[in-house]
Amino acid sequence: MQKNFNRSYASLEEIFEFTDRFFATEDIEESIRLPVHFVMEELFTNMVKYNPENSNDILLNVDSANGTVTVTLTDYDVDAFDVTAARNVNINAPLERREPGGLGLHLIQKMVDTLEYDYADRKSTVTFTKRPG
Amino acid sequence: MFHIHFGDDGKIICTGRLDAAQCEKAQSFMDSVEEARIVDFSNLEYISSAGLGVLLKTQKRLAETGAGLKIINVNNHIHDVFRYSGFNAIFDIEPPGN
Repeated sequence: MQKNFNRSYASLEEIFEFTDRFFATEDIEESIRLPVHFVMEELFTNMVKYNPENSNDILLNVDSANGTVTVTLTDYDVDAFDVTAARNVNINAPLERREPGGLGLHLIQKMVDTLEYDYADRKSTVTFTKRPG
Repeated sequence: MFHIHFGDDGKIICTGRLDAAQCEKAQSFMDSVEEARIVDFSNLEYISSAGLGVLLKTQKRLAETGAGLKIINVNNHIHDVFRYSGFNAIFDIEPPGN
């Protein structure tokens, strides 16, 4: 199941609704619904934030097999940005040394079971999987 | 959909989903908070890293006057997000039923 979404934070509600329809149709375990939403939002908003001048839609594909959900986001005509690269985030820093931002990619790496990045012909493709349980 | 308001007892009540599209509304409200407050997440289903940014910015500002936010009734998903972020060390967080 796939659909193009406008490159805007305003697309998030539509993305979540799209995903929830898929979850209902495929009878996906409820426990992975919010983590999948979370990772989708972080990846999608990252694409929006770092390529605001790009007018291309972002393609979202959602699939499942044996309860495991696979999500792929494809972004066209963009520079490479490897979301799988290690992030230097100190989550133990005290409040006075914490600044908003920078947590998103760290968090998705905690929540997914697999995360892959591919870049070719100025096309970024990010795929993640989430297993139930 | 996201909604934020002061409850009758002075708690900050958050309802719905705090995603990147809703952060401007949340930050605008939080910028008006000038003293220690309890934030009730009983009806908040979801928070993203953008929402964490709103909470962190507010906590840092309040900490300058010795105040802070206490967050209560967080669901399992939000609790995981806080734990993976290290927010459980910089916020007073209370799970449901306490």
